[in-house]
Amino acid sequence: MKKFATPAALLIAALAYFVPALSGGAPVVYAACTAIAILAVMSYGADLILSYLGEVSLGHTIFWAAGGYAASLLAVNAGWNGWQTAGAAIVVAVVLAGVLGLATLRTREFVFSLVTYAAAVVAMEVTFNWSFLGGSDGVVGVPPLELTIFGKGINGAGDAALWPVAWGLLMLTLLFIQRFRHSRLGTSALMVQMNPDLAQALGVDARAVRFLVFVASAPISALAGWLYAYQRAYVGPDMFESYFLVLMLTAIVIVGRRLLLGPLIGTSLIIVQQTFFSIGGDGDKIVLGAVLAGILLLWPRGLIGLWDALAVSRRSSRPRPSEPTRS
Amino acid sequence: MTAPALEAAGLSVRYGGNLAIDDVDVVVPAGKMVGMVGANGAGKSTLINALAGWSRGTPVVRGTVRLAGQPMEALPPYRRAERGLVLVPEGKGIFADLTVTENLALVKPPSDTTGRHVFTMGDIYGLFPRLAERRGHKGGMLSGGERQMVAVSRALRAAPKVLLLDEPSAGLAPRLVYELLATMRKLVDRGLSLLLVEQNVRATLELVDELYLLERGKIVARGPAAAMKDDPRILDAYLGTLTA
Amino acid sequence: MNLVQQLINGLVLGSGYALIAIGWTLLLGAARLVNFAHGQLYMLGAFAAWAAMDRLGVSYFLAVPIAVFVLGVLGVLLQLMMLRPVMQQNLTSLMIVTLGFGYVFQGGAARIFGGNPQTFVSPLQSANIRFGEIWFTWQDVVTLVGTLLLFAVLWLVLNRTRTGALVRSVAEDPKLAQLFGINASLVYVGVFVFECAAVALGAGLVAPRSPILASMGFDEVILTFVVVVLGGIGSVGGSLLAGFGLGMFTALFGALVSPAYTTAAAFLLLLAVLLMRPRGLAAR
Repeated sequence: MKKFATPAALLIAALAYFVPALSGGAPVVYAACTAIAILAVMSYGADLILSYLGEVSLGHTIFWAAGGYAASLLAVNAGWNGWQTAGAAIVVAVVLAGVLGLATLRTREFVFSLVTYAAAVVAMEVTFNWSFLGGSDGVVGVPPLELTIFGKGINGAGDAALWPVAWGLLMLTLLFIQRFRHSRLGTSALMVQMNPDLAQALGVDARAVRFLVFVASAPISALAGWLYAYQRAYVGPDMFESYFLVLMLTAIVIVGRRLLLGPLIGTSLIIVQQTFFSIGGDGDKIVLGAVLAGILLLWPRGLIGLWDALAVSRRSSRPRPSEPTRS
Repeated sequence: MTAPALEAAGLSVRYGGNLAIDDVDVVVPAGKMVGMVGANGAGKSTLINALAGWSRGTPVVRGTVRLAGQPMEALPPYRRAERGLVLVPEGKGIFADLTVTENLALVKPPSDTTGRHVFTMGDIYGLFPRLAERRGHKGGMLSGGERQMVAVSRALRAAPKVLLLDEPSAGLAPRLVYELLATMRKLVDRGLSLLLVEQNVRATLELVDELYLLERGKIVARGPAAAMKDDPRILDAYLGTLTA
Repeated sequence: MNLVQQLINGLVLGSGYALIAIGWTLLLGAARLVNFAHGQLYMLGAFAAWAAMDRLGVSYFLAVPIAVFVLGVLGVLLQLMMLRPVMQQNLTSLMIVTLGFGYVFQGGAARIFGGNPQTFVSPLQSANIRFGEIWFTWQDVVTLVGTLLLFAVLWLVLNRTRTGALVRSVAEDPKLAQLFGINASLVYVGVFVFECAAVALGAGLVAPRSPILASMGFDEVILTFVVVVLGGIGSVGGSLLAGFGLGMFTALFGALVSPAYTTAAAFLLLLAVLLMRPRGLAAR
């Protein structure tokens, strides 16, 4: 079984590349697929924190916007190509995450969430008011993405042209997450979350682990923002909108935390609803928020939890045992 | 015929995959003191908590619990307390942020007192004069013995039908343990029904009317205290080594 | 800049901050529940009062109590939905759940009330009191007095009544409270209803200062966070002081440096405090 896992994963990954073409290749399909890939990558940044550290980062819109702004400003003002802007997006995100990570080093639980949330609101305020970042207008006229090696590669704008980049970025992210899960850092992070005493006994430095995971997660969301800037040809303070924050969290919890493909499937469900079954912008907000709250209230472990519960109830038709601790 | 004060049948408690209590029957006759002894980890606390429907974890409990014939198993712990099935848990039994008076005033004495053993604040301060002196102190500032007195007093204020006491002796000086248990015996002699979980087998045997021996989640011996004193299992495991 | 005028502005701003934060202070202290929908509840409170005036034609003085009542009812519904994770103290889930609720409110309010700014007018806002160069409105006076009164009542109830002891007991140990015959869920519902009603009162008194929007609420959340953390998590007196302190800071910062960056400056203040005291200034 196990030895087929890698070829099977590669085959599915390759097939995923042809999904938009096989679905008819309509512009709306390419738009949806590109958006799914970009927003899923964005969510994987927050997923690293929520699933593996067990903390709720509400500040990942900062890194998402930082990536977008780095790409736009450098492409528009300095004429940098895609590789250069991507590098800049990573550097900016790492620096910002380093600062925020140090500031929140001693905070836990809701204080951590609260500070990251406040940081995001303040970052939006600064972006909105600082003319260097384009103020409330943002940065317009982002040129087509130029991403070439030895003269070959992508030089384009629009969803169909950007799809290969979005697909590639998604695959790289999945690979990174997969490696992270089996890395020393990944297992340490889980141990710090699940059994802090044991982690300490084994000599794991919880603060260092939290800091490193936080810094490692930022470039992921930033690269998503980087590509988003090229896809929209414009960035603005709206990248801080709670839409992206709620989307990240919903994408992570909807299927279930700590699942490699969870955020991707979650993002797909959300974007498919919003693209093909939209009930208007405000209506979609209600749907997204209600799904986020509803999943956690009804099936805290996500749809996987629902699946398990159904499987158990199908297996045994015995009456539910009484649970006196519930009230 | 009258139903026993407390009767549990087929009680099982499961924590995750572990069966902590396995099909146990317990009866506390009215006006009697029943002791439950056993080694550490035998499941004594799990069992007495299950009777009160209470736990710090999330166990799955099966079986029936009847208080004077009334089914309790579907009721949440605060309802069981209201009905007169009152537990004093092991360890932390009072609120550190509240004064003695506030701790005791949290409990609302029932309006219908049929079958209940009512204790006024005067009774309480009569039983534990020390508390009257400390009434303005916060729980966190009391000594271990005083906290245990407040915890028991709180239970008495609820006008119990059956009092469940989980290791009241834990962490207390022997003299205090003796005083507390003697006070409990006095209350039983006045008609209260009491289930006492204890590590201290010797002290328990002196006081109780009946004794249960719990091992690995099962009752392995039960009987009148006088008979249990001579039970080889009790002698071997608990008294033998001490008297030898 | 007139210093006395700025100090008065600070006092008024601060009483507003403290008023908006009071419910959250109690909620965090008693239920350890972090409500990220707080800002949207503020927005709903403002819109409920505005709608009562605009659609039902009632006066401002009736509209605010109506908003308080409506939000109180909403509080019951929300807390009933959140009861299981609250009883299990699953704080991570709860934070995200409230964030989801906030997003639903934002979308819902935009649907019901439209996306345009509305003016929520209080007759007290235009009634000025002048002493030479210094001036303030009757709305400011009512906000200040109302805030002080509400804090005093809350402090008395918490520390001097059986109800207050119930709340404090559940705050300390909800499981143990059950053995005292206390229905902890009911206490949680009560605390959450207070949070919702208090924020509606805050919105009723503070929101008339500026146009109201379905998308507002973020600044209020941040300022509430700052007040609650500076004041010491769950401390009633602390958050009143922190509210006034933050109000003074905001007024002076706005006058001396830049009004656009006041939230940012308040946040830096919060960060500085957290770096030194991760659990807040007056943390136990």
